[in-house]
This record gives sequence, C-alpha cells and structure tokens, in this order.
Amino acid sequence: MILMLASAGCARDDEKSMEEVSYRLKWLFNISVVGDLYAHDSGLFAKNGLKVIVKPGGPEKDAIKELELGHAQFGVASADQVIRAVSKGAPIVVIAQLFQINPLHWIYRPDKTPLKTPQDLKGKTIGITHGGNDETIMRALLAKYDIRESEVNFFSVRYDYTPFYQGKVDLWPLYRNAQAPIIGAKLQKAGERFDLMDPSKMGIRFVANSVVTTREMLEERPETVKNFTRALLQGWQEVLKPANEQKAIDTVLKYNKETPEEIVRQQLPATRILMMPTPDFEFGKMDPAAWRQTEEIMLSQKLIPVPVFVEKLLKPVREK
Amino acid sequence: MLYKRIYQFLIIYFIGLAALMLVKYSLNLSDYTIPGVTEIWTTCRRYFGLYLMAVLNTLCVAILGHLLSIGMATVVGIIGRLTIWVGSFIRVAAYNIQAYPIVAVAPIIFILLGDGLSSRLLIAAMICYFPLLLSFIGILSEPVKEIEHFFESTRRMNWRLQVKIRAFENIHKLITVVVGSATLAMVGTIVAEFIAANAGIGYSIRIALYQSDLAKILVALFLIGICTSIYLVFLEWIGWFVKKQLGSI
Repeated sequence: MILMLASAGCARDDEKSMEEVSYRLKWLFNISVVGDLYAHDSGLFAKNGLKVIVKPGGPEKDAIKELELGHAQFGVASADQVIRAVSKGAPIVVIAQLFQINPLHWIYRPDKTPLKTPQDLKGKTIGITHGGNDETIMRALLAKYDIRESEVNFFSVRYDYTPFYQGKVDLWPLYRNAQAPIIGAKLQKAGERFDLMDPSKMGIRFVANSVVTTREMLEERPETVKNFTRALLQGWQEVLKPANEQKAIDTVLKYNKETPEEIVRQQLPATRILMMPTPDFEFGKMDPAAWRQTEEIMLSQKLIPVPVFVEKLLKPVREK
Repeated sequence: MLYKRIYQFLIIYFIGLAALMLVKYSLNLSDYTIPGVTEIWTTCRRYFGLYLMAVLNTLCVAILGHLLSIGMATVVGIIGRLTIWVGSFIRVAAYNIQAYPIVAVAPIIFILLGDGLSSRLLIAAMICYFPLLLSFIGILSEPVKEIEHFFESTRRMNWRLQVKIRAFENIHKLITVVVGSATLAMVGTIVAEFIAANAGIGYSIRIALYQSDLAKILVALFLIGICTSIYLVFLEWIGWFVKKQLGSI
C-alpha cells in the first residue's frame, strides 16, 4: 500500500515537473493525425518531459493565429497558410513537413473521363473550392500545360458530392487518404470504376501540412522544441510501420468513433504513401524545392504580393 | 431616421475596429492575425465595388426571403390559430422544422433545389420566419374579446374578419416583429451563401476565410451593416406609412 501511494505520488510529481504545451491540429481527429495522437497516447511526449494537449482543428481554426496569440505553442498548417502568414509578418517557422505528397487529388471515372495526359482536361468540368488550395493547384496545373481556363469548366464544390455522383462534374477534389476510400467505396458499390488524378505526378508539388511554431519559441525554448519534435516524429515513424497497423487503427478509432474500422484500414496505407513514400524515409523531412514551387505558384497567382524566401522559414529540428 | 441609424452603426463598427486595433498593437500581432489600418484601407479600396455588388445581391435575396417568410408565417399563423387538430399539428410541425440546425438541412435542400437562388431564398426564409411565426401565431390566436364578442353575438363573425380584427388591434407588435426579423433574413441569406452558393457576400466571406483574410471580412461586415441599416429604415418607414393609413398614429 505504501509503495502504491509512493509511486502514485511520484507519478503526480513527474506530471507536475513536465512542461505543458498545446498543439493545434489542422483538422478533426482522423487518419491524417494518427501520428500526433499516437505520440500522445503511447507516452512519447511524456518520455520527453512534455505534457502535450492535442487539440483538434477544423475549418474555423487557424493554428498560426493561435501561436501568435499564445493559445498554442505548436500547430499544423498548410504551406499556403504558412507563406501567406509570413508575407503578412507572422513570426513563424516550419519544424517538420508531415505530407511529402499533397493528399489533395481529383477523383474521376476513367470510363467516362479518360485522362492520359494533362491535355485531356480540356473541355472537362472540374470541381474546385473557390479560395481553397485545390483552386490554386488546379490553376497552376492548367498554367503549366498551357491550358486556358476558358478551355475547362470550373464547378464550385461543396461538402456534398451529389453533382459528382450525378455525373454533372467530371473531376472532384478530395483528400486521397481520408476521403477517397469512402467515396471510392460508394462508387464501387454502384458498379463504377474510379481513379485519382495526382497533381504531383504532373509536376505540381504544392506542399500540404507541416508542423509550425513561433520564431520566439525556437530561439527561447529550443530544448522544448527539440523534445516535442523528437517525440512527434518518433510517433509518426512508429505508427506508420506496417507492423503497427492495428495500433494505428485503434488510435484513430479511439478518437473518431464515426468512421468504420474497414474504412480506417483502407485510409492507413494511403496515408503511409503520402507521408513516407519509401519504407526507410526519414519522417518529417523538408522538401525545399517543393516549398519554393509552392511560393512561386502563390506569387504567380498574386496570392502573396512579394516573395517571402520560404527556405528561410524551414528549420528542421532533427537529431544528428 | 436613416442618418441616425447609419451613424449609430458607424459608432458600433468603429468601436469594434478600435478594440481589434488595441488588441493587435498591445499584443504586437502580425497583419495575418489582425490586419492593420493600412491593410484594411487598401483592401477596402480594392474590393469595395466587388463587395458592394455582392452585398446588394445578398440584400435582394434577403428581401425576397423576408417577403416569403412573412407570407409563410401569415398562412401558418392563420391556420395555427385554430384550436382544432390541424392548428395544433401545424404549430408542432413548424416548431419541429425550425428546431433542425440549418447546416444539417442544407445538403437536402441543395440536392433538391441545387445551389442557386431558390436554395438561398428558402434558407433565408427558414431562418427568419420562426420569430415571425411565433408572433403571428401568438397575435392571431389571442381573441380581442370586446370587439369579437359583438360580431359573434350578431353571427357575423367569419375567419377573415377575425384575422383582420386581431391584426389591426396588434399592428404595432406586427410591424415591430417584421422589422426585427429583417436582420434575420439578411443573416439567413449570408448563412445560405456561406454554406453553398456561388454569389453573394456570404460566398465572398467564405473565400476570404479560406484565405485567412480578416481585412476582407471587415470590409464585408462594414457593407453588410450599412445595407442592413438602410433596409431596416425602409421597413420602419413602411410600418409608419401603414399605421398612418390605418389611422393608428
């Protein structure tokens, strides 16, 4: 009994001595944040002396604003958010790149809409979210292959996939790892074949989600940043190993009870491909060339007024 | 009246803006989190025309939605005033429909009506008609005993006369609730555009949110406030005119 009380007391003391930080994700708890949740649940943050409060994101949440306001110390933001924020003076840096391939793809029916080359996009009705990343990527793709915007029909997309199911829209944007297994299953159930158009295979490498913190945090609390990054990257690296498949699925299902297990099982390998293109890939590695291209695209589309020299923001915190 | 409403709105708007600036400069926040005065001014100059057209577009739909909801509330109010089963059923159905969050109902509306004008109109009407309905049912089901008794005892009472008596006796309340629900019509239209439309200021706000551009949103809020104030003054004038025609002022 005395031993139990003593160990409980020690555990409380450990918890007290841990540094508390908040981590704001980009989206709700789903497969795209499995490594973040795993690092938390498996005690990796705790082992590194941190008590991390992992907060889900959402359409109205902006991690960069929360960092500036001090509501969070770490966050996940898309590359365009980072570049836009820095162009307006936000003092942030990127410490790890989560997605190596942007999960934003376009789903289409190859029987009805055969796409062999980018030129096949001509005359097609393409779904885009006005003001969203997909609009930027699609415009960049069309510009790269000298396809005038008047040669395609843009369709403003919503949460609702009905226009795609009805065949009114030929290509519909979605997240390959999170949404494609769900939408694909519906199409297959209806006896339809589907395929995904990956802009990165057509030369548009627009960076997606990365882990960010403030410049002040990096300079004044470098050990905290290092401990956080170490635990986070280790969590991702471990959970994406094929041997840990069930652990990954259980972690997602613990936080997201609405998605069926069989869907999560399909989402996991898709996530692995996007985040760890090869089994020995060093998780979290920055891709400066892709960041530069992202900035160039934003500049050419006048989404930022002047260059921000994005390479200066990339501060990989990795163990030697 | 218009002048008073506009300057009252301007006072509120600029107090809000000043509070934002106070937070920005006291916490030394970047223009990304809270835009500075210069950026708001630059955005205003660049997007004023575009956003004004968008707000006018929204206002037109809001007015149509408001008229539609007044019509709906009148009809449901007239039927709902009945004490028989149909009246009770209509009241319960109206309350239940209103209890559903519009974001959950919206996808069904868009599947049935598409994402054009009709969906925006219906959602605007759905959001603003409930307060109207509550007041209309309340007013139209409340007997004006001293007048109605005369017509009932002389067996000249019919439903049209009953509705006219109750409406006339409560004209001040009716006008107040019609004017008050106008802001809800505007809010409803903006919500509809935000969820799923290709036009209007709600759609522009959605794009600005995707781009984390608070300056655009502040410009949009300014124009929404001005246009809503003008519409409210117009409604108040109509209310005053109606009361004058009925001799109640």
